[in-house]
Amino acid sequence: MSNNDIQRTVTVRIQRFNPDVDKKPHMQDYQVKMWPGMTILDALHEIKTHQDGSVTYRRSCRHGICGSCAMHINGRNTLACKTPIINEVQKNDTVTIGPLPYLPVIKDMVVDRTSFWEQYLRVKPWLLPPNDIPEKEFRMSQEEVDALHDAEACIMCGACYSSCAVIGLNKKYLGPHALLKAFLRVLDPRDTAPAERLEIVSQADGVARCHTIFNCIDACPKGLNPTQAIETLRKLAQKRQKYEEARRERQKHLNEPIPS
Amino acid sequence: MQNSDVITHDVIVVGAGLAGTWAAMTAAENGVKDVAVLSKIHPLRSHSGAAQGGIAAVLNNVRPVAGTGPRGPLEQIPPGDDPVDSFDLHMFDTIKGSDWLGDQDAIEIMVKDAPDVVIQYEHMGCVFSRTKDGRINQRRFGGHSAPRANFSADRTGHVLLHTIHEQALFHNVKFYSEWYVMDLIIEDNITRGVVAINVLTGDIKMLRAKAVMFGTGGYGQAFKVTSNAYANTGDGVALAYNAGAPLMDMEFVQFHPTGLYRHGFLMTEACRGEGGYLINKLGERFMKKYAPDKMELAPRDLVSRSEQIEINEGRGVMEDGQGIYLDMRHLGREKIMSRLPEVRDLAIAFAHVDPIEDPVPIQPTAHYSMGGIPTTVDGEVLANANGDLITGFYAAGEVSCVSVHGANRLGTNSLLEASVFGRRAGRAIAEFVKGGAKLHPVPGDPAEKNRKMVQQLFDNDGTELVEDIVQDLKTTMTNKVGIFRDEEGLKSALDEIHNLQERFKNIRVMDKSKRFNTNLSMTLEASHLLTFSELIAAGALNRQESRGAHSRTDFPKRDDESWLKHTMAHKDEDGRPKFSYKGVTIYWDRFPPQERKY
Repeated sequence: MSNNDIQRTVTVRIQRFNPDVDKKPHMQDYQVKMWPGMTILDALHEIKTHQDGSVTYRRSCRHGICGSCAMHINGRNTLACKTPIINEVQKNDTVTIGPLPYLPVIKDMVVDRTSFWEQYLRVKPWLLPPNDIPEKEFRMSQEEVDALHDAEACIMCGACYSSCAVIGLNKKYLGPHALLKAFLRVLDPRDTAPAERLEIVSQADGVARCHTIFNCIDACPKGLNPTQAIETLRKLAQKRQKYEEARRERQKHLNEPIPS
Repeated sequence: MQNSDVITHDVIVVGAGLAGTWAAMTAAENGVKDVAVLSKIHPLRSHSGAAQGGIAAVLNNVRPVAGTGPRGPLEQIPPGDDPVDSFDLHMFDTIKGSDWLGDQDAIEIMVKDAPDVVIQYEHMGCVFSRTKDGRINQRRFGGHSAPRANFSADRTGHVLLHTIHEQALFHNVKFYSEWYVMDLIIEDNITRGVVAINVLTGDIKMLRAKAVMFGTGGYGQAFKVTSNAYANTGDGVALAYNAGAPLMDMEFVQFHPTGLYRHGFLMTEACRGEGGYLINKLGERFMKKYAPDKMELAPRDLVSRSEQIEINEGRGVMEDGQGIYLDMRHLGREKIMSRLPEVRDLAIAFAHVDPIEDPVPIQPTAHYSMGGIPTTVDGEVLANANGDLITGFYAAGEVSCVSVHGANRLGTNSLLEASVFGRRAGRAIAEFVKGGAKLHPVPGDPAEKNRKMVQQLFDNDGTELVEDIVQDLKTTMTNKVGIFRDEEGLKSALDEIHNLQERFKNIRVMDKSKRFNTNLSMTLEASHLLTFSELIAAGALNRQESRGAHSRTDFPKRDDESWLKHTMAHKDEDGRPKFSYKGVTIYWDRFPPQERKY
């Protein structure tokens, strides 16, 4: 790519909506001169700080760990901070940006995540550890840690949640993010309540609602696989008493070295 | 005051990173029923979550394999074998890292509380990386002479933040998400509460409390290249200063050696802890010239200065010569994938470089604020250099200055500091509240005063854009108050900052709506940048020595005779800073000042 190409001016087409003054959303175009390495978030910052201060979005860390800036870019949910603008410029030299779908819009790209956080709370995201707390750490194998990877790396950005067709129809569905959190606790050898958790996720608005459409996997900016976690929960839910017994057995050895 | 406008809690914590959430959770755990946390962004977006490499604690879980040297492999310590690490060693490393400006009583407390706080994280469900026998795994880090960085791959801050937030929810802490605190009310040295704007609605409210705790984080956004989030605008230090509290050691700003080139966010120090090299244009591991013993794992101030010298002398990389290479290729695919997966992902996404195949361009980046609101070891805020307290005001974490980091912080000591002193502040607050602390009356109508201030900003309709002022400030701070400083540059920086403060009076806020007005919050944040940047530059101008992260080319030596003391900045009646100084706590028999060599 030549330098000229990188520094050309492109149109950033933003879906604008302030419910206090607008009857319905409308599109507004802004011209932005690109620079090498510019991200979608950089472009939004340029627009907000020099052209139109009312363009509104959430952001903080700038490098894909805080989860603030998930939005809809050229028809796809992703993090604005991790998306180079050059990759998104379409044939007509335009990038189209809007809010995450399926959620009420507060203002422009800022969506109301109330249902998202309610579902997170419904799965009781905190660990429920054994009563017998050792002086030192509980012993876990690296394999047990690795099994939690996807759930532990989740940044709760909501890209999966708002790409899920089931959420589009039914806000009572727990959703991929909350199920991933439930998975984290269910698989953690330190947690004492896997059966109770599996009971929660197998209720009407839990794992059974997942249609395995895999939108969540496509949307996840961290490359995680919520569908697989949901599948695992579905299987474990069918034998939850047995699973709980196995957990109790495992917890008898939580204070002992992992055998080599 | 209209009662409907006033919200009341026993305890109000501002900031929902590790320090604030620890304080809130611990106060609740210790019997305070009504604890609220205000955060300008959702709690899980807090910048503690961006920390990568680890949290320091002497656990003695691993040791270097005998005979493999300072960069060789590590192994778990078999049961019964001698420990390699000790509290004294962690203390000494921290004191030496601080260039003897850290208060050694506070450092001792941090180091001794460390194992317990890390184990508490583990018991609360934090997912740490593990040794073969299932203990928390540890790695090397810069300036630490034993492997004591307890880690979760390269997303340690992320897992700690999620864990402590979940526990705070479990303990029924109330969170006000996206409430931006714009004023701290202290009258007659007694804390009354805060004024905050509900960002969603634009409503401005008075929130009264018996105790207010600040865990609002650092001030890296004053610099052009920074690892810090957009949110790290030093709100807490500026609000405290404006409310009459002193600020301590503000001139000490840490530049991290490995910010991603041009972007500034971090390639964790763990890249070097795991064995990565720093390479200049000539392909040299140049650290051999500056720190022949510790090499790439010298402390951050020293490594950043070394990089800047290489760059200034024309041995930098990239088109503009402003970069250095971080070379991890020899670590191999497996180690990079298992220990540094997030870093690899970032290098690919932002620099189009896969660290498995190619060296990653990096540059020094403004990273950590050693200075801040002075506190006791229990988070109580000092009113002055004599050690008097401000009743009901607490602070911990990066916004505070205990001081454990002194003139330069060691990596992995920040997650530790935020956790240890957040927890201690939480216990102290619980004692204060349960000991009969009162809700003190609020003088006047601070909420209305702030509403009028916002209306004035909207009505101002000047010609200056906030962003132009911010960018000019960042350029000044980076060029003249950055890694290397001198009298001429600092004087002209102060002139420029005063000029920017004048220009700020002529700003125009573009968005005047009530609903989710981030244009307004960015404007208030900019005013905070201008407030504390003056203190950094003025403190740096006064301090005629080089110590830790403060490097004066015109005073290249540390001067213990004149400058082994903390800077305290107060706001005087004319709104200008006046300075006093406070002694450093030193255990003269155990850790007297020495020459600092690595």
